[in-house]
Amino acid sequence: MIKFDNLTKIYEPDSVVLDNVNLHIGQGEFVSLVGQSGAGKTTLMKILTKEELPTKGNAYVDGDDLNDIKGGAVQLLRRKIGNVYQDFKILDGKTAFENVAFALEVSGATQEEIEEDVPRVLAIVGLANKIDSFSHQMSGGEKQRLAIARALIHRPKILLADEPTGNLDMVNGYEVLKLLEKINEFGTTVVLATHDSKLVNTIGKRVITMEKGRVVKDQEHGRYVI
Amino acid sequence: MSVNLKRIISSGWTNFKRNSFLSFGTTGVMTLTLLLLLGLLFFQFMTSQVVAELESKVDISAYFKQDAPEDIITSVREELETLPEIDFVEYTSRDEALAEFKERHADNELIQESLAQLEENPLQASLNIKAVDSTQYASIAGFLDDHKFRASIEKINFFENELVITRINKISNGIKTWGLIGTIMLVAIAIMVTFNTIRLTIYSQKQEIEIMRLVGASNWHIRGPYLVEGAFYGIFAAIFALAVAYPSILVSSDKINVFAPSINLLAYFTANLWQVLVALFVAGILLGMISSTIAMNRHLKI
Repeated sequence: MIKFDNLTKIYEPDSVVLDNVNLHIGQGEFVSLVGQSGAGKTTLMKILTKEELPTKGNAYVDGDDLNDIKGGAVQLLRRKIGNVYQDFKILDGKTAFENVAFALEVSGATQEEIEEDVPRVLAIVGLANKIDSFSHQMSGGEKQRLAIARALIHRPKILLADEPTGNLDMVNGYEVLKLLEKINEFGTTVVLATHDSKLVNTIGKRVITMEKGRVVKDQEHGRYVI
Repeated sequence: MSVNLKRIISSGWTNFKRNSFLSFGTTGVMTLTLLLLLGLLFFQFMTSQVVAELESKVDISAYFKQDAPEDIITSVREELETLPEIDFVEYTSRDEALAEFKERHADNELIQESLAQLEENPLQASLNIKAVDSTQYASIAGFLDDHKFRASIEKINFFENELVITRINKISNGIKTWGLIGTIMLVAIAIMVTFNTIRLTIYSQKQEIEIMRLVGASNWHIRGPYLVEGAFYGIFAAIFALAVAYPSILVSSDKINVFAPSINLLAYFTANLWQVLVALFVAGILLGMISSTIAMNRHLKI
Protein backbone atom coordinates (compact mmCIF):
# COMPACT_ATOMS: atom_id res chain seq x y z
CA MET A 1 0.00 0.00 0.00
CA ILE A 2 2.81 2.38 0.97
CA LYS A 3 6.43 2.01 -0.06
CA PHE A 4 9.47 4.21 0.36
CA ASP A 5 12.55 3.51 -1.76
CA ASN A 6 15.81 5.18 -0.70
CA LEU A 7 13.86 8.29 0.16
CA THR A 8 15.88 11.36 1.10
CA LYS A 9 14.68 14.84 1.88
CA ILE A 10 17.15 17.67 2.30
CA TYR A 11 16.14 21.26 3.02
CA GLU A 12 18.64 23.59 1.42
CA PRO A 13 21.45 24.01 2.13
CA ASP A 14 22.25 20.97 4.25
CA SER A 15 19.42 20.09 6.65
CA VAL A 16 18.80 16.38 6.14
CA VAL A 17 15.26 15.55 7.34
CA LEU A 18 14.91 12.11 5.80
CA ASP A 19 17.99 10.02 5.16
CA ASN A 20 17.65 7.07 2.81
CA VAL A 21 14.37 5.71 4.18
CA ASN A 22 13.25 2.26 2.99
CA LEU A 23 9.87 1.05 4.21
CA HIS A 24 6.98 -1.08 3.15
CA ILE A 25 3.56 -0.86 4.75
CA GLY A 26 0.99 -3.42 3.63
CA GLN A 27 -2.72 -2.96 3.11
CA GLY A 28 -4.77 -3.04 6.32
CA GLU A 29 -1.75 -2.60 8.59
CA PHE A 30 -1.77 -0.44 11.71
CA VAL A 31 1.65 1.17 12.00
CA SER A 32 2.92 3.44 14.74
CA LEU A 33 5.62 5.79 13.59
CA VAL A 34 7.52 6.92 16.64
CA GLY A 35 10.43 9.14 17.45
CA GLN A 36 11.26 12.47 18.97
CA SER A 37 10.25 15.75 17.41
CA GLY A 38 12.38 16.39 14.34
CA ALA A 39 12.87 12.68 13.63
CA GLY A 40 11.16 13.09 10.24
CA LYS A 41 7.73 11.54 10.96
CA THR A 42 5.68 14.50 9.72
CA THR A 43 7.83 15.03 6.63
CA LEU A 44 7.41 11.36 5.73
CA MET A 45 3.64 11.77 5.93
CA LYS A 46 3.68 15.02 3.97
CA ILE A 47 5.53 13.27 1.18
CA LEU A 48 2.64 10.81 0.91
CA THR A 49 0.18 13.65 0.28
CA LYS A 50 2.63 15.50 -1.97
CA GLU A 51 2.74 18.48 0.35
CA GLU A 52 6.48 17.90 0.33
CA LEU A 53 8.57 16.53 -2.53
CA PRO A 54 11.48 14.17 -1.93
CA THR A 55 14.96 15.29 -2.84
CA LYS A 56 15.93 11.76 -3.86
CA GLY A 57 14.26 8.37 -4.04
CA ASN A 58 10.69 7.25 -4.62
CA ALA A 59 7.48 6.93 -2.66
CA TYR A 60 4.58 4.72 -3.78
CA VAL A 61 0.93 4.77 -2.78
CA ASP A 62 -1.32 1.98 -3.97
CA GLY A 63 1.33 1.04 -6.54
CA ASP A 64 1.65 4.54 -8.03
CA ASP A 65 5.01 6.29 -8.02
CA LEU A 66 4.31 9.72 -6.49
CA ASN A 67 6.97 11.31 -8.67
CA ASP A 68 4.69 10.60 -11.64
CA ILE A 69 1.58 12.07 -10.05
CA LYS A 70 1.04 15.63 -11.17
CA GLY A 71 -1.68 18.24 -11.67
CA GLY A 72 -5.23 17.10 -11.05
CA ALA A 73 -4.05 13.61 -10.10
CA VAL A 74 -2.63 15.08 -6.85
CA GLN A 75 -6.19 15.83 -5.70
CA LEU A 76 -7.26 12.27 -6.49
CA LEU A 77 -4.30 10.99 -4.49
CA ARG A 78 -5.29 13.17 -1.54
CA ARG A 79 -8.82 11.78 -1.61
CA LYS A 80 -7.33 8.29 -1.19
CA ILE A 81 -5.60 9.45 1.97
CA GLY A 82 -7.34 10.77 5.06
CA ASN A 83 -5.39 13.16 7.29
CA VAL A 84 -5.74 13.88 11.00
CA TYR A 85 -3.62 16.47 12.78
CA GLN A 86 -2.72 17.46 16.30
CA ASP A 87 -4.45 20.86 15.92
CA PHE A 88 -7.64 19.31 14.47
CA LYS A 89 -7.95 21.91 11.69
CA ILE A 90 -11.69 22.35 12.20
CA LEU A 91 -13.42 25.40 10.70
CA ASP A 92 -14.79 27.43 13.60
CA GLY A 93 -17.58 29.11 11.68
CA LYS A 94 -19.12 25.82 10.58
CA THR A 95 -21.13 23.14 12.39
CA ALA A 96 -19.95 19.55 12.67
CA PHE A 97 -22.16 18.62 9.74
CA GLU A 98 -20.85 21.52 7.64
CA ASN A 99 -17.23 20.76 8.46
CA VAL A 100 -17.56 17.25 7.09
CA ALA A 101 -19.85 18.32 4.24
CA PHE A 102 -17.25 20.89 3.21
CA ALA A 103 -14.80 18.10 2.38
CA LEU A 104 -17.38 16.50 0.13
CA GLU A 105 -18.51 19.76 -1.47
CA VAL A 106 -15.07 20.79 -2.59
CA SER A 107 -14.52 17.46 -4.26
CA GLY A 108 -17.73 17.83 -6.24
CA ALA A 109 -20.21 15.54 -4.44
CA THR A 110 -23.94 16.04 -4.98
CA GLN A 111 -26.26 17.36 -2.27
CA GLU A 112 -27.89 13.91 -1.93
CA GLU A 113 -24.54 12.21 -1.33
CA ILE A 114 -23.66 14.81 1.27
CA GLU A 115 -26.94 14.42 3.14
CA GLU A 116 -26.59 10.66 3.13
CA ASP A 117 -22.88 10.23 3.93
CA VAL A 118 -22.19 12.96 6.50
CA PRO A 119 -24.57 11.77 9.27
CA ARG A 120 -23.40 8.19 8.74
CA VAL A 121 -19.74 9.10 9.24
CA LEU A 122 -20.55 11.32 12.22
CA ALA A 123 -22.35 8.34 13.76
CA ILE A 124 -19.29 6.13 13.23
CA VAL A 125 -17.10 8.53 15.24
CA GLY A 126 -19.81 8.92 17.91
CA LEU A 127 -20.88 12.46 17.13
CA ALA A 128 -24.43 11.77 15.98
CA ASN A 129 -25.74 14.01 18.76
CA LYS A 130 -23.34 16.85 17.89
CA ILE A 131 -24.29 17.18 14.28
CA ASP A 132 -25.33 20.85 14.57
CA SER A 133 -22.73 21.88 17.14
CA PHE A 134 -20.00 24.40 16.44
CA SER A 135 -16.42 23.69 17.39
CA HIS A 136 -16.56 25.93 20.48
CA GLN A 137 -19.36 23.71 21.77
CA MET A 138 -17.17 20.58 21.56
CA SER A 139 -14.43 19.11 23.71
CA GLY A 140 -10.95 18.47 22.34
CA GLY A 141 -11.72 14.76 21.93
CA GLU A 142 -14.90 15.55 20.06
CA LYS A 143 -13.07 17.95 17.77
CA GLN A 144 -10.50 15.29 16.96
CA ARG A 145 -13.24 12.75 16.29
CA LEU A 146 -14.85 15.30 14.00
CA ALA A 147 -11.52 15.67 12.19
CA ILE A 148 -11.38 11.88 11.85
CA ALA A 149 -14.93 11.89 10.45
CA ARG A 150 -13.85 14.42 7.86
CA ALA A 151 -10.80 12.32 7.00
CA LEU A 152 -13.03 9.26 6.54
CA ILE A 153 -15.66 10.88 4.37
CA HIS A 154 -13.94 9.93 1.10
CA ARG A 155 -13.59 6.31 2.32
CA PRO A 156 -9.80 6.58 2.11
CA LYS A 157 -7.56 3.54 1.78
CA ILE A 158 -5.01 5.15 4.08
CA LEU A 159 -5.45 7.23 7.21
CA LEU A 160 -2.48 9.34 8.27
CA ALA A 161 -2.73 10.56 11.86
CA ASP A 162 -0.01 13.01 12.88
CA GLU A 163 0.07 13.33 16.68
CA PRO A 164 -3.73 13.06 16.87
CA THR A 165 -3.67 12.79 20.67
CA GLY A 166 -1.07 15.51 21.24
CA ASN A 167 -3.63 18.08 22.39
CA LEU A 168 -5.85 15.65 24.30
CA ASP A 169 -5.93 14.31 27.83
CA MET A 170 -5.39 10.60 28.44
CA VAL A 171 -9.03 9.54 28.37
CA ASN A 172 -9.79 11.39 25.16
CA GLY A 173 -6.48 10.19 23.73
CA TYR A 174 -7.46 6.58 24.28
CA GLU A 175 -10.87 7.16 22.77
CA VAL A 176 -9.30 8.54 19.62
CA LEU A 177 -6.92 5.59 19.54
CA LYS A 178 -9.81 3.13 19.85
CA LEU A 179 -11.54 4.88 16.99
CA LEU A 180 -8.41 4.56 14.84
CA GLU A 181 -8.25 0.85 15.70
CA LYS A 182 -11.90 0.46 14.73
CA ILE A 183 -11.26 2.18 11.39
CA ASN A 184 -8.31 -0.15 10.87
CA GLU A 185 -10.57 -3.15 11.50
CA PHE A 186 -12.74 -1.98 8.58
CA GLY A 187 -9.66 -2.44 6.36
CA THR A 188 -8.14 1.05 6.23
CA THR A 189 -4.36 1.23 6.53
CA VAL A 190 -3.57 3.47 9.50
CA VAL A 191 -0.26 5.25 10.05
CA LEU A 192 -0.07 6.89 13.46
CA ALA A 193 2.81 9.26 14.10
CA THR A 194 3.31 9.98 17.78
CA HIS A 195 5.84 10.42 20.52
CA ASP A 196 3.39 9.20 23.18
CA SER A 197 5.05 5.97 24.35
CA LYS A 198 2.19 4.87 26.64
CA LEU A 199 -0.28 5.06 23.80
CA VAL A 200 1.95 3.08 21.46
CA ASN A 201 2.60 0.39 24.00
CA THR A 202 -1.11 -0.32 24.44
CA ILE A 203 -1.60 -1.00 20.73
CA GLY A 204 0.78 -3.92 20.43
CA LYS A 205 1.16 -3.66 16.67
CA ARG A 206 3.97 -2.76 14.29
CA VAL A 207 6.19 0.06 15.52
CA ILE A 208 8.68 1.91 13.33
CA THR A 209 11.16 4.04 15.23
CA MET A 210 12.82 7.00 13.53
CA GLU A 211 15.79 9.05 14.63
CA LYS A 212 17.33 12.00 12.81
CA GLY A 213 15.64 11.09 9.55
CA ARG A 214 16.54 7.40 9.61
CA VAL A 215 14.53 4.28 10.39
CA VAL A 216 16.40 2.79 13.33
CA LYS A 217 13.97 0.07 14.39
CA ASP A 218 11.07 -1.75 12.75
CA GLN A 219 9.31 -4.32 14.99
CA GLU A 220 6.23 -6.39 14.16
CA HIS A 221 4.81 -6.20 17.69
CA GLY A 222 6.87 -3.44 19.04
CA ARG A 223 7.11 -1.10 21.93
CA TYR A 224 8.29 2.46 22.01
CA VAL A 225 11.31 2.70 24.19
CA ILE A 226 12.92 6.07 24.58
CA MET B 1 -20.92 20.68 -12.97
CA SER B 2 -23.76 23.10 -12.34
CA VAL B 3 -23.73 22.25 -8.62
CA ASN B 4 -19.99 22.92 -8.49
CA LEU B 5 -20.31 26.16 -10.40
CA LYS B 6 -23.09 27.27 -8.06
CA ARG B 7 -20.91 26.50 -5.02
CA ILE B 8 -17.92 28.34 -6.49
CA ILE B 9 -20.00 31.40 -7.40
CA SER B 10 -21.74 31.47 -4.05
CA SER B 11 -18.49 31.24 -2.12
CA GLY B 12 -16.99 33.99 -4.33
CA TRP B 13 -20.03 36.13 -3.58
CA THR B 14 -19.61 35.45 0.15
CA ASN B 15 -15.98 36.60 -0.06
CA PHE B 16 -17.12 39.75 -1.84
CA LYS B 17 -19.75 40.50 0.81
CA ARG B 18 -17.50 39.76 3.79
CA ASN B 19 -14.89 42.17 2.49
CA SER B 20 -17.50 44.93 2.21
CA PHE B 21 -15.23 47.79 3.30
CA LEU B 22 -12.37 46.68 1.09
CA SER B 23 -14.79 45.81 -1.68
CA PHE B 24 -16.07 49.36 -1.67
CA GLY B 25 -12.61 50.81 -2.22
CA THR B 26 -11.69 48.24 -4.83
CA THR B 27 -14.91 48.75 -6.75
CA GLY B 28 -14.43 52.53 -6.54
CA VAL B 29 -10.98 52.48 -8.11
CA MET B 30 -12.18 50.11 -10.78
CA THR B 31 -15.19 52.34 -11.48
CA LEU B 32 -12.86 55.30 -12.03
CA THR B 33 -10.79 53.25 -14.44
CA LEU B 34 -13.84 52.19 -16.41
CA LEU B 35 -15.16 55.76 -16.49
CA LEU B 36 -11.89 57.01 -17.89
CA LEU B 37 -12.00 54.24 -20.47
CA LEU B 38 -15.55 55.22 -21.39
CA GLY B 39 -14.59 58.90 -21.53
CA LEU B 40 -11.77 58.05 -23.89
CA LEU B 41 -14.18 56.15 -26.11
CA PHE B 42 -16.59 59.09 -26.29
CA PHE B 43 -13.78 61.57 -26.84
CA GLN B 44 -12.56 59.45 -29.72
CA PHE B 45 -16.07 59.54 -31.18
CA MET B 46 -16.39 63.31 -30.79
CA THR B 47 -13.05 64.21 -32.32
CA SER B 48 -13.54 61.79 -35.17
CA GLN B 49 -16.89 63.48 -35.90
CA VAL B 50 -15.41 66.97 -35.86
CA VAL B 51 -12.44 65.98 -37.98
CA ALA B 52 -14.63 64.10 -40.45
CA GLU B 53 -16.86 67.10 -40.87
CA LEU B 54 -13.96 69.46 -41.41
CA GLU B 55 -12.28 67.03 -43.73
CA SER B 56 -15.34 66.89 -45.91
CA LYS B 57 -14.92 70.62 -46.43
CA VAL B 58 -11.29 70.47 -47.47
CA ASP B 59 -10.35 70.46 -51.11
CA ILE B 60 -7.76 71.89 -53.39
CA SER B 61 -8.38 74.05 -56.45
CA ALA B 62 -6.06 74.85 -59.32
CA TYR B 63 -6.99 78.05 -61.19
CA PHE B 64 -5.71 78.20 -64.73
CA LYS B 65 -4.54 81.32 -66.46
CA GLN B 66 -7.11 82.85 -68.74
CA ASP B 67 -5.11 82.01 -71.83
CA ALA B 68 -4.50 78.40 -70.81
CA PRO B 69 -5.74 76.18 -73.65
CA GLU B 70 -8.48 73.69 -72.85
CA ASP B 71 -6.43 70.66 -73.90
CA ILE B 72 -3.74 71.46 -71.32
CA ILE B 73 -6.38 71.60 -68.60
CA THR B 74 -7.86 68.33 -69.83
CA SER B 75 -4.47 66.64 -69.84
CA VAL B 76 -3.75 67.84 -66.28
CA ARG B 77 -7.16 66.59 -65.22
CA GLU B 78 -6.65 63.19 -66.83
CA GLU B 79 -3.24 62.87 -65.28
CA LEU B 80 -4.65 63.74 -61.86
CA GLU B 81 -7.38 61.17 -62.23
CA THR B 82 -4.83 58.40 -62.62
CA LEU B 83 -3.34 59.17 -59.19
CA PRO B 84 -4.50 56.67 -56.55
CA GLU B 85 -4.83 59.24 -53.78
CA ILE B 86 -7.45 61.24 -55.70
CA ASP B 87 -11.15 60.70 -55.15
CA PHE B 88 -12.47 62.91 -57.96
CA VAL B 89 -11.55 65.93 -60.03
CA GLU B 90 -14.20 68.45 -61.06
CA TYR B 91 -13.59 70.72 -64.01
CA THR B 92 -15.20 74.14 -64.14
CA SER B 93 -14.68 75.94 -67.44
CA ARG B 94 -14.46 79.73 -67.65
CA ASP B 95 -17.98 79.91 -69.06
CA GLU B 96 -19.37 77.71 -66.33
CA ALA B 97 -17.61 79.76 -63.72
CA LEU B 98 -19.12 82.92 -65.16
CA ALA B 99 -22.59 81.38 -65.29
CA GLU B 100 -22.27 80.26 -61.70
CA PHE B 101 -21.02 83.62 -60.63
CA LYS B 102 -23.88 85.38 -62.37
CA GLU B 103 -26.40 83.08 -60.84
CA ARG B 104 -24.97 83.48 -57.39
CA HIS B 105 -25.17 87.27 -57.68
CA ALA B 106 -28.41 87.43 -59.64
CA ASP B 107 -29.85 89.87 -57.13
CA ASN B 108 -26.92 92.22 -57.20
CA GLU B 109 -27.51 94.69 -60.01
CA LEU B 110 -24.16 96.37 -59.64
CA ILE B 111 -22.30 93.16 -60.28
CA GLN B 112 -24.58 92.24 -63.15
CA GLU B 113 -24.00 95.63 -64.74
CA SER B 114 -20.25 95.49 -64.29
CA LEU B 115 -20.15 92.08 -65.86
CA ALA B 116 -22.23 93.25 -68.79
CA GLN B 117 -19.75 96.01 -69.42
CA LEU B 118 -16.79 93.71 -69.56
CA GLU B 119 -15.82 92.51 -72.95
CA GLU B 120 -14.07 89.41 -71.77
CA ASN B 121 -14.90 86.79 -69.17
CA PRO B 122 -12.72 87.74 -66.15
CA LEU B 123 -13.00 84.35 -64.50
CA GLN B 124 -10.62 81.45 -64.69
CA ALA B 125 -11.11 77.81 -65.46
CA SER B 126 -10.45 75.60 -62.44
CA LEU B 127 -9.97 72.02 -61.36
CA ASN B 128 -11.47 71.21 -58.01
CA ILE B 129 -9.71 68.21 -56.52
CA LYS B 130 -10.91 65.97 -53.72
CA ALA B 131 -8.49 63.52 -52.15
CA VAL B 132 -9.34 60.15 -50.61
CA ASP B 133 -7.54 61.14 -47.42
CA SER B 134 -7.00 64.64 -46.04
CA THR B 135 -3.34 64.01 -45.37
CA GLN B 136 -2.69 63.71 -49.10
CA TYR B 137 -3.49 67.32 -50.04
CA ALA B 138 0.03 68.48 -49.45
CA SER B 139 1.44 65.93 -51.87
CA ILE B 140 -1.24 66.76 -54.47
CA ALA B 141 -0.37 70.43 -54.15
CA GLY B 142 3.27 69.49 -54.60
CA PHE B 143 2.44 67.40 -57.65
CA LEU B 144 0.69 70.38 -59.29
CA ASP B 145 3.46 72.74 -58.28
CA ASP B 146 6.07 70.59 -60.04
CA HIS B 147 3.89 69.93 -63.06
CA LYS B 148 5.26 70.62 -66.51
CA PHE B 149 2.23 72.82 -67.22
CA ARG B 150 2.78 74.77 -64.01
CA ALA B 151 3.19 77.87 -66.16
CA SER B 152 -0.46 77.61 -67.18
CA ILE B 153 -1.64 77.48 -63.62
CA GLU B 154 -2.33 80.82 -62.03
CA LYS B 155 -2.61 79.65 -58.45
CA ILE B 156 -3.12 76.56 -56.34
CA ASN B 157 -5.59 77.12 -53.56
CA PHE B 158 -5.05 75.08 -50.48
CA PHE B 159 -8.19 75.42 -48.46
CA GLU B 160 -7.75 77.13 -45.12
CA ASN B 161 -9.40 74.30 -43.23
CA GLU B 162 -6.24 72.33 -43.72
CA LEU B 163 -4.59 74.27 -40.96
CA VAL B 164 -7.52 73.77 -38.62
CA ILE B 165 -7.57 70.06 -39.34
CA THR B 166 -3.90 69.61 -38.65
CA ARG B 167 -4.34 71.46 -35.41
CA ILE B 168 -7.39 69.44 -34.32
CA ASN B 169 -5.65 66.22 -35.23
CA LYS B 170 -2.67 67.28 -33.17
CA ILE B 171 -4.73 68.26 -30.16
CA SER B 172 -6.91 65.15 -30.29
CA ASN B 173 -3.88 62.90 -30.67
CA GLY B 174 -2.32 64.61 -27.67
CA ILE B 175 -5.43 64.14 -25.56
CA LYS B 176 -5.76 60.52 -26.72
CA THR B 177 -2.16 59.78 -25.81
CA TRP B 178 -2.48 61.37 -22.37
CA GLY B 179 -5.88 59.77 -21.86
CA LEU B 180 -4.39 56.42 -22.73
CA ILE B 181 -1.46 56.94 -20.38
CA GLY B 182 -3.92 57.96 -17.63
CA THR B 183 -6.07 54.91 -18.31
CA ILE B 184 -3.08 52.58 -18.26
CA MET B 185 -1.96 54.08 -14.95
CA LEU B 186 -5.44 53.69 -13.47
CA VAL B 187 -5.65 50.14 -14.82
CA ALA B 188 -2.37 49.38 -13.06
CA ILE B 189 -3.64 50.96 -9.82
CA ALA B 190 -6.97 49.11 -10.09
CA ILE B 191 -5.12 45.83 -10.59
CA MET B 192 -2.90 46.51 -7.60
CA VAL B 193 -5.80 47.46 -5.32
CA THR B 194 -7.87 44.43 -6.38
CA PHE B 195 -4.80 42.23 -6.06
CA ASN B 196 -4.32 43.45 -2.51
CA THR B 197 -7.97 42.86 -1.55
CA ILE B 198 -7.85 39.32 -2.87
CA ARG B 199 -4.51 38.71 -1.21
CA LEU B 200 -6.11 39.68 2.10
CA THR B 201 -9.03 37.32 1.46
CA ILE B 202 -6.54 34.54 0.76
CA TYR B 203 -4.71 35.31 4.01
CA SER B 204 -7.90 35.41 6.05
CA GLN B 205 -8.94 32.05 4.64
CA LYS B 206 -5.60 30.36 5.10
CA GLN B 207 -7.13 27.61 7.22
CA GLU B 208 -9.99 26.95 4.81
CA ILE B 209 -7.53 26.72 1.94
CA GLU B 210 -5.28 24.35 3.88
CA ILE B 211 -8.21 22.09 4.70
CA MET B 212 -9.42 22.22 1.11
CA ARG B 213 -6.00 21.09 -0.02
CA LEU B 214 -5.78 18.26 2.45
CA VAL B 215 -9.20 16.86 1.64
CA GLY B 216 -8.30 16.87 -2.05
CA ALA B 217 -10.40 19.78 -3.30
CA SER B 218 -10.11 20.30 -7.02
CA ASN B 219 -8.07 23.23 -8.23
CA TRP B 220 -11.18 25.04 -9.37
CA HIS B 221 -12.80 24.73 -5.99
CA ILE B 222 -9.88 26.44 -4.36
CA ARG B 223 -9.12 29.07 -6.99
CA GLY B 224 -12.59 29.56 -8.47
CA PRO B 225 -14.07 31.63 -5.63
CA TYR B 226 -11.24 34.19 -5.84
CA LEU B 227 -11.70 34.53 -9.58
CA VAL B 228 -15.43 34.99 -8.98
CA GLU B 229 -14.71 37.56 -6.29
CA GLY B 230 -12.51 39.50 -8.75
CA ALA B 231 -15.22 39.29 -11.38
CA PHE B 232 -17.77 40.69 -8.91
CA TYR B 233 -15.60 43.77 -8.36
CA GLY B 234 -15.60 44.25 -12.11
CA ILE B 235 -19.35 43.73 -12.47
CA PHE B 236 -20.17 46.22 -9.74
CA ALA B 237 -17.64 48.70 -11.08
CA ALA B 238 -19.29 48.45 -14.51
CA ILE B 239 -22.71 49.07 -12.96
CA PHE B 240 -21.43 52.11 -11.02
CA ALA B 241 -19.62 53.44 -14.07
CA LEU B 242 -22.85 53.24 -16.06
CA ALA B 243 -24.78 54.87 -13.24
CA VAL B 244 -22.38 57.82 -13.40
CA ALA B 245 -21.93 57.92 -17.18
CA TYR B 246 -25.56 57.80 -18.28
CA PRO B 247 -26.83 60.88 -16.40
CA SER B 248 -23.65 62.76 -17.38
CA ILE B 249 -24.30 62.01 -21.04
CA LEU B 250 -27.95 62.96 -20.66
CA VAL B 251 -27.01 66.36 -19.23
CA SER B 252 -24.04 67.15 -21.46
CA SER B 253 -25.36 65.86 -24.79
CA ASP B 254 -27.54 68.91 -25.50
CA LYS B 255 -24.82 71.32 -24.45
CA ILE B 256 -22.25 69.69 -26.71
CA ASN B 257 -24.83 69.71 -29.49
CA VAL B 258 -25.02 73.51 -29.31
CA PHE B 259 -21.27 73.85 -29.91
CA ALA B 260 -20.94 71.07 -32.45
CA PRO B 261 -24.23 70.35 -34.21
CA SER B 262 -22.85 67.23 -35.86
CA ILE B 263 -22.26 65.51 -32.51
CA ASN B 264 -25.09 63.79 -30.76
CA LEU B 265 -23.53 62.01 -27.83
CA LEU B 266 -26.78 60.60 -26.49
CA ALA B 267 -27.75 59.18 -29.88
CA TYR B 268 -24.30 57.64 -30.21
CA PHE B 269 -24.58 56.17 -26.73
CA THR B 270 -28.06 54.74 -27.34
CA ALA B 271 -27.16 53.42 -30.76
CA ASN B 272 -24.12 51.63 -29.37
CA LEU B 273 -25.63 50.76 -26.00
CA TRP B 274 -24.95 47.03 -26.30
CA GLN B 275 -21.38 47.47 -27.42
CA VAL B 276 -20.77 49.96 -24.60
CA LEU B 277 -22.34 47.61 -22.05
CA VAL B 278 -20.38 44.60 -23.26
CA ALA B 279 -17.15 46.61 -23.37
CA LEU B 280 -17.66 47.93 -19.83
CA PHE B 281 -18.56 44.58 -18.30
CA VAL B 282 -15.88 42.65 -20.18
CA ALA B 283 -13.25 45.25 -19.23
CA GLY B 284 -14.38 45.20 -15.58
CA ILE B 285 -14.52 41.42 -15.30
CA LEU B 286 -11.17 41.02 -17.04
CA LEU B 287 -9.56 43.59 -14.74
CA GLY B 288 -10.89 41.76 -11.68
CA MET B 289 -9.96 38.31 -12.87
CA ILE B 290 -6.46 39.30 -13.96
CA SER B 291 -5.87 40.82 -10.51
CA SER B 292 -7.11 37.65 -8.77
CA THR B 293 -4.93 35.47 -10.94
CA ILE B 294 -1.86 37.52 -10.04
CA ALA B 295 -2.79 37.36 -6.34
CA MET B 296 -3.35 33.60 -6.47
CA ASN B 297 -0.15 32.92 -8.37
CA ARG B 298 1.80 34.79 -5.74
CA HIS B 299 -0.01 33.80 -2.58
CA LEU B 300 -1.93 30.60 -3.14
CA LYS B 301 0.01 27.36 -3.26
CA ILE B 302 -1.99 24.26 -4.07
